[in-house]
Parts: sequence; C-alpha cells; structure tokens
Amino acid sequence: MKIQSITDLKQAIEIQIQKRKSTEKPILTISAGTCGRARGSLRVIKALKNAIKKQKLENDIKIKVTGCHGFCEAEPNIIIHPHNIFYQKVEPKNAKDILAQTVLGNKIIDQLLYSDPSTKERYIQENDIPFYKHQKRIILGDNALIDPTDINDYLSIGGYLSLVKVLSSMTQEEIIEAVKQSGLRGRGGAGFHTGKKWEFARKAKGDTKYIICNADEGDPGAYMDRSLLEGNPHRVLEGMIIGAYAIGAEEGYIYVRDEYPLAVEHVSLAISQAKKLGLLGKNILGTGINFQIHINKGAGAFVCGEETALIASIEGRKGEPRQRPPFPAMKGLWGKPTNINNVETWANIPVIIEKGADWFSKIGTNGSKGTKIFSLVGKINNTGLVEVPIGITLREIIYNLGGGIPGGKKFKSVQTGGPSGGCIPDKLLDLPVDYERLAEAGSIMGSGGMIVTDENTCMVDLAKYFLNFLRDESCGKCLSCREGIQRMWEIVADITKGHATMEQLYVLEELALKVKDASMCGLGQTASNPVLSTLRYFRDEYKAHVIEKWCPALVCKRLVPSPCQDACPVGIDVPSYIAMIAWGKFNEAVDLIREDNPFPAICGRVCNHPCELNCKMGEFDKPVAIHSLKRFCADYVLKREGYNVPSIQSKRKERVAIIGSGPAGLTAAYNLARLGYRTTVFEALPVAGGMLSVGIPAYRLPKEIVKAEIDAILALGVEIKTNAAIGKDLSLNDLKKKGYKAIFIATGAYKSLKLGLPGEDVLKGIIDCVTFLKDVNLGNQKKPGDKIAILGDDHISVDAARVCKRLGSSEVNIIYRRSKEEMPLDYSEIDQAIDEGVKVHYLTIPNKILSKEGKVAGLQCIHARVGKADSRSRRELIPLEGSEFTIDADTIIRATGQVPDLTFLNRKFEISNWNLLVVDPYTLQTNVSGVFAGGDVVTGPATVIEAIAAGKKAAASIDNYISGKKFEGYKRPKPRMQIEPIQLTKEEEELKRPKMPLLSRNKRLQSFEEVELGYTEKMAIREAKRCRRCDIEE
Amino acid sequence: MITLFIDNQKVAVKEGTTLLKASEKLGIEIPTLCYHEGLPPYGACRLCVVEIIGEKKNRMVAACSFLVDEGMKVLTISDRVLKRRRMIVEFLLARCPDIKAIRDLADKMGIKKPRFKTKNLDCILCGLCVRVCNEVAGIGAIGFVNRGKKLKVDTPFHLASDVCIGCGACSFVCPTGAIEMELDAVKRFRELLGIEHKCRYSLMGLVSYKVCSNNYECWRCKVDQRIRDSLATHPIFAAKKIKTEKVNQYFSFLKKIQE
Repeated sequence: MKIQSITDLKQAIEIQIQKRKSTEKPILTISAGTCGRARGSLRVIKALKNAIKKQKLENDIKIKVTGCHGFCEAEPNIIIHPHNIFYQKVEPKNAKDILAQTVLGNKIIDQLLYSDPSTKERYIQENDIPFYKHQKRIILGDNALIDPTDINDYLSIGGYLSLVKVLSSMTQEEIIEAVKQSGLRGRGGAGFHTGKKWEFARKAKGDTKYIICNADEGDPGAYMDRSLLEGNPHRVLEGMIIGAYAIGAEEGYIYVRDEYPLAVEHVSLAISQAKKLGLLGKNILGTGINFQIHINKGAGAFVCGEETALIASIEGRKGEPRQRPPFPAMKGLWGKPTNINNVETWANIPVIIEKGADWFSKIGTNGSKGTKIFSLVGKINNTGLVEVPIGITLREIIYNLGGGIPGGKKFKSVQTGGPSGGCIPDKLLDLPVDYERLAEAGSIMGSGGMIVTDENTCMVDLAKYFLNFLRDESCGKCLSCREGIQRMWEIVADITKGHATMEQLYVLEELALKVKDASMCGLGQTASNPVLSTLRYFRDEYKAHVIEKWCPALVCKRLVPSPCQDACPVGIDVPSYIAMIAWGKFNEAVDLIREDNPFPAICGRVCNHPCELNCKMGEFDKPVAIHSLKRFCADYVLKREGYNVPSIQSKRKERVAIIGSGPAGLTAAYNLARLGYRTTVFEALPVAGGMLSVGIPAYRLPKEIVKAEIDAILALGVEIKTNAAIGKDLSLNDLKKKGYKAIFIATGAYKSLKLGLPGEDVLKGIIDCVTFLKDVNLGNQKKPGDKIAILGDDHISVDAARVCKRLGSSEVNIIYRRSKEEMPLDYSEIDQAIDEGVKVHYLTIPNKILSKEGKVAGLQCIHARVGKADSRSRRELIPLEGSEFTIDADTIIRATGQVPDLTFLNRKFEISNWNLLVVDPYTLQTNVSGVFAGGDVVTGPATVIEAIAAGKKAAASIDNYISGKKFEGYKRPKPRMQIEPIQLTKEEEELKRPKMPLLSRNKRLQSFEEVELGYTEKMAIREAKRCRRCDIEE
Repeated sequence: MITLFIDNQKVAVKEGTTLLKASEKLGIEIPTLCYHEGLPPYGACRLCVVEIIGEKKNRMVAACSFLVDEGMKVLTISDRVLKRRRMIVEFLLARCPDIKAIRDLADKMGIKKPRFKTKNLDCILCGLCVRVCNEVAGIGAIGFVNRGKKLKVDTPFHLASDVCIGCGACSFVCPTGAIEMELDAVKRFRELLGIEHKCRYSLMGLVSYKVCSNNYECWRCKVDQRIRDSLATHPIFAAKKIKTEKVNQYFSFLKKIQE
C-alpha cells in the first residue's frame, strides 16, 4: 500500500510504535548477520522454532531474527525479552532448555551467560557486559531491535521520522546547515566534512545530480558497513533519501561488493519495501520529489573504494582512479555532479536530523564529532564491532571494551585504518582516537579497522602482509604506486628472510616517503603507512632482522626455524628431542638436551619454559608440554642406566676456577670440562648446587635429582670444593697464583632487600626469604610462626608460603603489589598454592608494621588500582582511599628482591648502581682481565635457565680467552639435526595436552614429597606426538 | 584567462589548460612518458610530477592532467620534484634496463644502476597503446588485464584479436618498442574470401578505393610511408585530426595520395 502524504506516514509510524509498546509476549532476539550465520545461528533458530512448535507455543512466543549486534566473540547470541537476558555462544542443543527453563520457567541458565575472561564474573543483561557498557551505540544499537527484512519493524522504533521531519518542516538549505553544524565527517576514511561536501554538490551547476553510497568495504578486518547494511538497511536508505532531497539528486547508487550476499539481499529487499510504501520512486509522499536507488554490485576490488575509481566502475569501465580535481561534486558519475558518502556516514544522517545538530556535536572532540564504529579484531579477547564516542582512548577500547589480550600476552600494537593505516605502539595507548591525533601518530582513522597485535606478532611480517595485500590491490595505473609497493614488498620480504642489508633498509624508508608523495590516489598515497609507522615505532625490530638476522617475535620462518628453540635462552634443539621422544628414543633425547643443558631433570621441573609460551601449537590449542617431556625422558634415563658421559675433546692442561656452584657455575664447569679444561668449583656452602639445592624447596625439586645431575657433571672430572668461601680462606689473587688461567664468578644473589617500612630493623619476627628457605633446605625444619605475611614480588614468595604451610603455619598470606597478570611466574604454581590454603592479596601495598612488645603483631595494607603507564610502560599504582585493612601476622617474610653480596671482591671491580657486577654483554668478561662473571650476580635474581645460558656463554668465552681466539659474535641456535616426523593416526591428531598428575592435597601438606608426579611413558609419547613439527615446514 | 606562477614566472592561460601546457608556454620542459598530444591526459607514469605550493602544505600532482587555477604557484624543478622523478626513473630502469628511451632518461638524471632487482621487461605500462586503440582508433582490440603487480597489456583472454584492424598505431605510440607490428594481423585480411578482402587503410577510413593495386599484399604497400612522410605522425591521428578539423582538406589530401 502506497502512503500518499507526510501525515499518513507519520500516522503509520505511530501505529507501529504503539504496536511495539503493547506487545507483551516474550520475544527471542537472535543475531543472524553473516558472522552469526557462520557460527551456526540459523541452526539455532531452526532448533528453537522446532522446540516452540513441539510445545504448540507459536502464537505465544515470537522469534525475531536480527542482524549482527557487534559482539562476534559471543555469536550466536540470544536476547530474551522482556527481561533482556543475554545468552552467548548458543548451540542448537540448548534450544529446549532455553525454552523450558528461561522463557517459561523464568530461570537463568548459568552456563550460557557471558563471563568476563579475566574476572570470571557472569553477566545477565546485555548492557551490563563491559563490552556493551562502555559503548555509545547510537547507530549500531538498533541492529539488536529490528528485523532487517521488515520495514514495519524499522517504523516501530521511530524509523523514517527524520524523513517526516525533513519533508514537513525543513528546507534543503536547512538540512545542509544542520549537517554542517553537527560537525559530521566522512566515515570512509579521509574525514572530509559531510555538510561541506553536500553544499558543493548542491551548488554545482547542472540539473541532473547523483548520490552514491560507498559500501565497497575492502579493508582486511573491517566489516561495520556490512553489519549496517545487513542489520539496518532502512536507516541507510533514510539517510540517502534525506541527502538526495537536500542535494537535489533524483538517482542514487549503492555500490556494494558482491562478496556481501546477505547485505545485497537485505538492501534489495529494503529498497523494494520502501518503493511499495512510496518512500522511493516518483512523487514521494505527494511532495513532488523523485528519488530512485539502484544497487551496483562490485567485483571486490579494494581500489574501487576510491571515489573516482568507484564512479568508473559504476559507469562500466575498469576501476581506476583519475586525477582530482575536478572532484565528483563538480564532475562525477556520467560527468554530472555527484555526492559520495560512506554507509556509516549515511546512517548518521537520520540521527542528526532527529536529535538535532547540537545534540550530535556534543559527542566527540573539538574537531571530530559523533561516534565511530570500530571493528576490533586480532589478538583481543572480545572480537567485535564497537561504537564509541570519538576521542575515547585506545586503552579504553582495548582493555575496557575489548577485554585485553588473550592468553595473558603482552600488547604490542594496534593497527588502525586497514592497509592504509599505521601501527600504534603501547606507549601511545592513551592517545585519544580522532582524525587528527591518529594522523599525528602516523596512522589514519580509515574505515575503522583495528587490528590488535600481541608480542608474538612480528611487525616486519605485518608490514609485509599489508604490502602484499596492496601490491595485489593497487589498480596498477600509476607507476609510483604499482612499482613502489612491489619494490617495498621485495625489500621487506628480503628483510624477513634475513637477506637484507642496512642500505636496503634506508632505501625502504626513502621509497616509502616518496611513494606517498608521487602517487595519484589515496591508495598509493597511504600505501607506505604500514612501513613508515612500523619503522617509526619498531625500528629495532627491523634492525634485529637485518643485523642480527633474528626475528624477536619468533615469526619469520627463515630466521627462526622453530620458535621453541629460539625462545630457549640456551637454544636446546627442542623439536628434535620431542620427535625422539615420540619415536621412543629417550636416551638419545637426553643426550641431545645435554648438548646444551646439563640439567634436563631440573629444568624439566623448575624452568619457566619460554619455549612453551612461543609454541606454535599454543595459538590454537594448549602448547606442547615441552618441560614435562624433558623431565620425563631425564627421569626415565636417570632411573635406569643414568646419563651417558659425553665425550671430551682433547685434554688440555689449563685450569679454570669457578666460584659458586649454582646452575651458572656448574654449567660453565660442564662445558669447560667437555672442552678439556681442568675445572675446579669453589662453593661457600656445605652443599653444591646453589639455589637449586638451598633455594628451591624439595616438593618442587627433590634433592636426589639435584644430586644425580651434579654427579653426572662430576663424572666429567670436574672438582667441587664445598665450604670454600672465596674472600675468607682464599682470595682471587691466590687463585691466579695457584695457576688458574681464568676465573668465573657465579655467586648468585642472596642478600635480601629491605622493605623500607619503619621498625623492620628492630622488631622481632621479620625474616629474609632466602635465608629462611636456605635454612629449611639445610635441615632446620622449624616453623617460623603461626600467622605469616609474605611480602613478595617473585616466585620465591610462593615457595616460602608453601614451605610455611608444610611446616605447619596456619595462616599464610602473600601480599603482592601488582596484579596477577604481572606476576612473573607460572599460574599453575599460584593455583597449587591457593589450593593448599595460601591466601594471595593482589594490588595491595603494605603500609605499616603493627607491633606488640617488640614483636610483629600484624601488617596494615591498602588496596590499590592501576593507573596510567609511566615512561617505562610500567603502570603506576594509585592507593584506594579508605581501603585500609589489617592482616594478622606474627612473622613477616620479606621476598621483595635480592642483590648479590659482593663484599668478597676487591675495589678493582666495576659495580653498578644496583649493586650488580658489570660485565661485557657479549664476552661476560669483567673489567679485570681473565675474570668472568654471569648469572644472578650480573643480572640480579633471574631464572634457572638464564643462569644456565650465562654459564654456557661464559664457557665459550673463557675458551676463546685462553686459546687467544677472537670473539666472533653470538650465534643464534640452529637445529642440530632433522628427525623424520612420525606418521600420526586420525585419533592421534586430535590428542589433547594431558594434565600433570599431582600429589593429593593432604599428602602434600604433611611432607616435602614432590607435588608434580611427572608423565607416564604412554602420556609422554602421546604428548610428544602433539608437536606439529613446525621446524620442518617451509 | 587564468594567471599563475610557474617557477616564479607569471603566465596567463585559458581556463581548462593543464599545467604541462602552461609550462610549455613558458618554455619550461617537463619530462613525460604516458603523455601524447593526440590523447587525453592519463597521469599514470608520474614522471611529470610538479609541486604546488599550498597554504598548509605543498602537494605533488601530475602536470599532464592537473588543471590550472587562479593564482596557483607551481614548482617544476624543486628538490622534492627531482627526487620523486629520480625514483620513477629508477623504477623504470629496474623494470626495463635494456630499453634505450629509459636508459637515456636515466643517463640524463645521472642514474647508473637501479638499487632494485632488475626485471628485463619491455613494457612500462604507460597505457598509450591501449588508449590509442580505444580512444582514437575506436577499436579496443587490446586493454589492460589484471591489476596491481599482475597488470599487463593484452587482448581479451589472450586470444588473437578478431577486431584488430592492423593499423599499427599501438606500435607507433609505444615509447619503448614493446609492441612490434607484425603483418600477421593484416594477413588475416588476405585469408578472407576474395570479395571480402580488406585494407587496413580503408578500415581506418583513410583511403576509399575498393580494390588494392598491390593485390592486398601489405608488405608491398607504400601508403603507410607516404602518409607518415607527409604528416609526421601516425595516420590514425591524422585521420582524427582531419576528420574533426579540416574535413575538406582531408578529401583533397586523400586524392593526392590516390593519384
């Protein structure tokens, strides 16, 4: 039925609004945009309909199929009205329960609610979810309300009221003035003022004028235009009708890519419905205005998003841009004045008309008004479309809305504006997002794509990806763009392969700047942005590729054959030994590990395993349990025949002294002994092993394991002298006089730092963590107190807590200044501790030690929240006023960091401000010739594997020093061999990582028995088969 | 008339003139590759970039297709312009190191060796051939195929063209000699049946006789050379020029050839 007049339309709209208000039956709103459908929303709809039919409730319950709501991560989702209950990731099998329990029984199904990935809090209503709560959804919000295939549904939310307002009360000039006043800028990318653009087109000479809706959305990772056209096509049509009336156009085109079939379907349907109702066509609503809309399907060329190329494409020519001016507003489609706007821009028009330019211009920043839809994709928890006021900071978008980075990884950069945009690094996270600020940062707003990357993304590789996209998508007309992008790609590809030189890097930068200048259209002029912005913020990463031939993110295949091996500080050939375990060759696997690391059984237990953090398998499943496999094969061999004694190269007569028998010292001894040197290790304590023996508690690392591995080193002829403190009985000079050619200092860091709280020196009941653990390990197993407070920022605080529990303390609290994410250790350890009854207080600052009669009585603390990042990108802590609380404690253990005790050294040695020994980073030589140092004494408290790496490096350097060879630079580890991959069965391809078997909790608290029991042979072989062998793929 | 300043020299030209033409009027030479007198400007090779001084920042545009504007200030030999031009020539030299026209250009700018991997191609994709075939001859036998790095000039589906009239204009305008005129295209006409024999000059509309005195053996034909001698350009441009401007002269000219 055609509506004949404006008043009739107004009436029709009011009828629909009333109808919506008076509906009382439950409505199930299901999102079914392209993304929802991809995740099976159509099957859910079918299942729900069947369930309703079975119960014969067709007339009582309504199902509404809407477009995308924006929360892709939660698709397919259902909102159940009238209570607005939000269910996510619904599957067809849930249909029956939803109907029976929620719709009819008014009961909420907990498993289907959204739960925050970090806080685990569950939310019932859509608007409470952080992802939606922080948005301002003036455009996208309607997607959740209406069925896009029904014009009446659009009318029922007040749709086309803006058209009524325009036709009944506004002149064309007034409309343009309103759009100008609103400050709306083009949402397609360049950000030209929409009102000005309309004015140009309106004032251009000529009777025939056209308007075009640019829906050729081609950026990788951007899909807001699709979502709007699919979910709310009438809104775009309404904007276009208003625009056509204001500009004086009688024909309009929607240029949409054919890859968006659902968008094409919904828009076509919307156009025919609007025509039927008389909102399009001749003499609209009896006003004498004529306006037709045609759909033009594009073949999917990125360059056709450029307006002159788009016009050429509509005209039937090849989609190539031409020189502007003349701008389309003067000479556009078929040579007539033409106005082109992006989908989102058109969708903004009805809001501006309805709520007024003033209301609109209050949202946003000085130069950029309104809201903008961004598509948040990449390494982010909440993937989806977000609509936010312009001027919001990137941090808010990524952390508050996006929920942060998955897997506890570190944020690296966000790429805005698609292939023409740039990468913004973490130090600019507090940048307000608007057109000008983004441009200053070297990026663009673009159509609103935001690709978040984490520490495992290589920025050079990312630049290569975008250049590759652009060299395909450049139309090829203008030489600088076509050849320039190709040449830049060639150089970047060379860099990722490790073939490039520094000169080429300079050429790359020069090209990027010149191509930007010399190209004809926006594509070429912005094509350099990915290169320029990554060069600006991540130049070190480029340099690492060029100079060190090394990809720090462990991505570039040619430079990093397997990320696990490259992530390992000692460079163990991980893929090969995992493959050997899969083949069942455990002895060979241990020999291979011991080529680089003499402590497989120890590292299999206590290593922080950077290898697993970088395992490729971890990107789509849990990483391969590399450290547990290492432990398994080492235990297997130790239990049976013991380690093989490695071959010794030709014997040498030179002697080397090593001070300290920790992992660094023993590794150096092991490697030097293999090179043929006669090595003596001096240890001040009665046992060898350093922190391995006296630091790490036995329930994590049994003493007999440490002993077995040290014995294996002794088998090489290394001599260990215990109870031999250097400085007391012997001096460094004595050692030299005794004929030691070189000395390696690896004495570790045992001196605890003070807390800086008043009273800590005089009060009884305050002990050092390291001393405490050492005493316990050496046999003094008396409980330190009953109520313990441990102030710590390190894994040793967790160790101390669990030891206290085992010694019988009833209450053990760990007070940690930062959040769980910032703790530098494996979460499983904390989880085990909590399981054993330890309390952990995150983001808590100790304020004051409470005392009673000269003894500790408690600790007063205050909660804090995390503030802005400081220049070192560590975020400051802001105490929360009034959140003070007291922890009862009779003993305080301080674990707030240790420093080396360097009093045994004479004044010749250079010592840093942090009380660390200063060495040459490459040779580990101190400023005294022939004296080397490594491990915690140089780095401060670090991990076991880093100490082992220092020992290995020192051994090589000492060998160079004694033989008089020159230092040749540090070599990156390369695979030692290539093992044939094992053929997997179907079942084996689906294997999951087995859980580490643990000792029961009761048994744990009674003794120092080892908690993690280790894999069985069967488990280990199956787990080793999960390795996808990325080392041999090309 | 519009007044503007090119390299600080004042010049007045008609509205709708390109910067290239305006510079020509001042005797300022701007190098071009994809530009041709007889064709509408295309702006693809970017060799003719010039700098326009703007209020906030300067813009780089192609002189061949950018139209003059009142009071505009243009630089044609600024440092920025020359650097961009050098880059373009370096790209060209890396693409076609053996083409004389390109080598000459490079010599002029003092570029000895490109810093990129060389490719040894003939075609620089300036599009002159495609445009002359489409826009002047009105045939469209060849066109651009693909886009971006795969862009090339070709016939549809890489098949021998049915519509080519063998005028050779593509070969004539090609600045690098990438297109050579083989008489294969013309031979096709000879293979037609007797009465359907065609002559490329009659197809171009340049000659009107019905029967060829050379028995359609084009390699013996002297018309081509005679037209070129008298016009100093390819006959296809002559045909267009004469058709539009001097129809009468055209007929007398034809008569002269036929005599």
